[in-house]
Amino acid sequence: MPRLLSTALSLRRDPRLLKIPPYISAFCIAIGVVWLLLLPLDDYSRRTYVSENALLPGQVHTYFGGSEQSIFRAFRHEVDLLASKNNFEVNDKLESILTGFGVKVGRQNYTYHSAGEIYSGENVYGILQAPRGDATEAIVLVAAWKSIDEQLNRNGVALVLTLARYFKRWSLWSKDIILLLPPDSTTGTQAWVDAYHDAHDSKYIAPLPLKSGALQGALAIDYPFEHRYHELHIIYDGTNGQLPNLDLINSIVNIAGGQMGIETTVQQMAGHTDSYQDRLQTMLRGMLYQGLGYPTGPHSSFIPYHVDAITLQPAGEGWHDEMAMGRVVEGSFRSLNNLLEHLHQSFFFYLLMQKNRFVSIGTYLPSAMLVAANFTIMAIFLWVKSGQPIAKREATDKPKGDISEGKGVSTTTPSSPPTVERNLLSPLALVATCHSISAIPLFVFNHLGIKTLPLAFLLFSVSSTALPAIFSFVIASVQKPTAQFFQLTKSFSLLILGVSLATLSTLNFSLAFLVGLLASPLTFIQPTKNLVTRLFLVILLILTSPPVVISSAAWTSGVTMSEVLKAASLGWNVWGMYTPIIIWCVWWPAWLIGTTNTLSSTFKI
Amino acid sequence: MTLQSKVGVFAGAALLRLVLSTAFPSLPDLLTGRVEISTPVTSFKRLQEGLFLYNHNVWPYDGGVFHQAPLLLPLFSLLPDVEAWPIFTSLLYILVDLLSAYALLVIADSGEAGQSKHFTSPRRAKRSSGLLVAAAFLFNPYTIATCIGRSTSVFTNCAILFAIAKALSGSPFNAMVAISFASYLSMYPLLLLPPLVLLAYDRQSEKRRVDSAIKFSIRAILIAAVCISLLLAMSFALTGNSWDFLARTYGIQLTLSDLTPTVGLWWYFFIEIFDSFRAFFLAVFWLHLVIYVGGLSIRLRTQPLAVLTILLGIFAVFKPYPSIADTSLFLAMLALFRHLYPIMRYTYVASATMLYATFLGPAFYHLWIYAGSGNANFFYAITLVWSLGQSLFVSDLTFAVLRDEWEVERPEMVGKEIRQI
Repeated sequence: MPRLLSTALSLRRDPRLLKIPPYISAFCIAIGVVWLLLLPLDDYSRRTYVSENALLPGQVHTYFGGSEQSIFRAFRHEVDLLASKNNFEVNDKLESILTGFGVKVGRQNYTYHSAGEIYSGENVYGILQAPRGDATEAIVLVAAWKSIDEQLNRNGVALVLTLARYFKRWSLWSKDIILLLPPDSTTGTQAWVDAYHDAHDSKYIAPLPLKSGALQGALAIDYPFEHRYHELHIIYDGTNGQLPNLDLINSIVNIAGGQMGIETTVQQMAGHTDSYQDRLQTMLRGMLYQGLGYPTGPHSSFIPYHVDAITLQPAGEGWHDEMAMGRVVEGSFRSLNNLLEHLHQSFFFYLLMQKNRFVSIGTYLPSAMLVAANFTIMAIFLWVKSGQPIAKREATDKPKGDISEGKGVSTTTPSSPPTVERNLLSPLALVATCHSISAIPLFVFNHLGIKTLPLAFLLFSVSSTALPAIFSFVIASVQKPTAQFFQLTKSFSLLILGVSLATLSTLNFSLAFLVGLLASPLTFIQPTKNLVTRLFLVILLILTSPPVVISSAAWTSGVTMSEVLKAASLGWNVWGMYTPIIIWCVWWPAWLIGTTNTLSSTFKI
Repeated sequence: MTLQSKVGVFAGAALLRLVLSTAFPSLPDLLTGRVEISTPVTSFKRLQEGLFLYNHNVWPYDGGVFHQAPLLLPLFSLLPDVEAWPIFTSLLYILVDLLSAYALLVIADSGEAGQSKHFTSPRRAKRSSGLLVAAAFLFNPYTIATCIGRSTSVFTNCAILFAIAKALSGSPFNAMVAISFASYLSMYPLLLLPPLVLLAYDRQSEKRRVDSAIKFSIRAILIAAVCISLLLAMSFALTGNSWDFLARTYGIQLTLSDLTPTVGLWWYFFIEIFDSFRAFFLAVFWLHLVIYVGGLSIRLRTQPLAVLTILLGIFAVFKPYPSIADTSLFLAMLALFRHLYPIMRYTYVASATMLYATFLGPAFYHLWIYAGSGNANFFYAITLVWSLGQSLFVSDLTFAVLRDEWEVERPEMVGKEIRQI
């Protein structure tokens, strides 16, 4: 053992050892990507299963149907009559309907300000008190007046009213049922959930006049169209990429598929053939939605409060009718009603490949961690390298030989340990400056009005591209840039990037992976003397800069830039979406420092 | 180092804290609620609770929330209500931070780190200026967070630094009074007494010199004892003529009866432990904490300041309710040993570990408490990493101090690779 140790110790001084880390970094990224691509294979993903015994999905007979259909038609007629009315008139009518069959009703006003626009409305909700409960637990049934696509959710609202009337007659509920009818699918539920948990800003959002117990689950119905449908689309992404417990999705897949014979899909993958390609596509779509962190439906607002929620959206042309949908909801509510404790058994971190196939966090997390680790490896490597005496580097690395010895580098006597003094102050100052100016885009994009946003973005993109050149010029004029300076700035910047992404991957895997992948060129850039290489590097960096990536992503998905910025601002101001922080305060400063480093040798004095 | 730059650093630090706490009015309350900053024995929120009871003529320890020294109560009841006028509380904390930085400046300028009475480091030429040390303390994010989070460990830290500064400037009496205050507030600084007495003994002024070490230490310990007794007597009078406050303040630290999570290693262990072993392991944990004092004071007799620094590092890891305030104090003292940096081996790894823990800690706490998708093990794992990072620093500093000493004894080994067998 001692011999082994001394061999290892002597290896430590081997200059060849210092050549390895960049390859390890590249290897980490490659493995991370390949790992992700392997996940859809049968050997790496698992079939889903219901792990909470109390749920018993599909074990009860559902009675919703028959004469309820006439009542449903009547309610739909009422909804149609209200189509052109304003929010308050609609709520007056809904309130009278709900109180008509003995449900306590509350109303709540709210106003949100974002990107210079005002989003206001009034929620109406009813609490159906459980005959066998003590108002300590509740389940929520949501139907927004406007669907996710901004259409009148006529079947959804009518169905909720019918179900409310139907549920009221049963005596088996042990949890209160809350019927929430917000005016839209975006802001209404957020205001309601915030106020339910007393986490609202009381200046803009009214408190709730009526409350029940802890929310155990929520189901939203998004059913605007007229015709019969083929499958149920389950939307499950919450704000900031948080997901509901997998058991909820499993139960609904089970009830819809097993009991009612309705197909279910996830991530808009109609006609999923369960092939590798389809699975991969489903997973990548899921990752994209998760990475954006943007709410995908009225259910999204519930998930940050640890309330498992999904939206059910009928899709396609088929033979299933509203009653079948009602029975799915009834079945799911009967399952949720059985719960003895909050859903906790199954997974909270997963990627779905298909309605019944998933990978859990233990299997997929390494890919994002590897990508994040590549930055840390490179940071440690650069730190070690910056501590090596110049003379040694000259011998091994000819092209860098002309780098003048900076003032931070002390002359080393042969007997002293083989590390040189590092001048930490100026690299730290540069990194701190870059990170602190990143507050500017974050503030600007979340506080400007919609009219000025596109212009601000254009200005920002231009200045963001010009900034590295200005920075490197300033650095060159303030002090002689040394190789050590570049190594240390890059080391610190990559360290921060690596740490942030590793942390992020435990909260929002997809965002961490996407940002890590897009920032991966930063690991390999370095100041070179070769003009062609440098030009290539600069172009590569500009192509992977945050503003360019954002605008090209918007362009490819056919959304205008102003819509993207408006949505981002709305996400920040209403839902507390933290994606802008990651982009502007983690990724952008790292990019800024990387590009400054690449350009720096241009201005060498 | 001009007066101008000194004023600049201090004013800058004060301004930064003031701007942060006034521009983001919710920030102080947010930080006060963080378990990394506020422990059961230093939390400002708990102090408010005690203060409320005190001001309403109720025994402040009723309710079992407040566990801090009684004398803090009259001090804080002098201040205007924190809800209406948070600025005055902020100003008090900023002032205390600046005083600590001033004490650090004195400590750094004394040059004790590189050259003590019995030991002169061959590397002492390379030292950081007092201003740099003070700035490193004032602009350390951990210090800033502690100051804005209004943790009462700020007062303890200030008292400890003043005790060291006074010992260095040859006034043992003041040093003993300061350490008594620190011990009164938090109890654990009492363990710093032996190295502090040694330090004060080494740095006595020529005029009032006491040659006998025993006489000197007896006198010093007497001063500390009298001072602590006075403080305790005042507390006795303040809390309705009863000694019950002892059990509610120091007793809590001794028995760890409040198991609120902290960044330390105790809470999780004592949640998991079976009750029958609790007393035994409490004794073991405390013994472990105490045991370093004697050993280090004897082994590093020639460098009492190094002993104090290493002990502060050990306390920041192993004391019952540690927080980032203790880490900030240790890091501030670490900055004094600039001349040892070249022979420290794991600074980068240790700082990277601590950086990782700093980021991951709040994330895992969030997953555990708010998102509900994690559990207590997540956060505990990170506190282990955090402690690992700090203990790396402590052991690395100890290694560097010993190596520095060793190179004086064995000049032929300077710069050679050594290996522990």
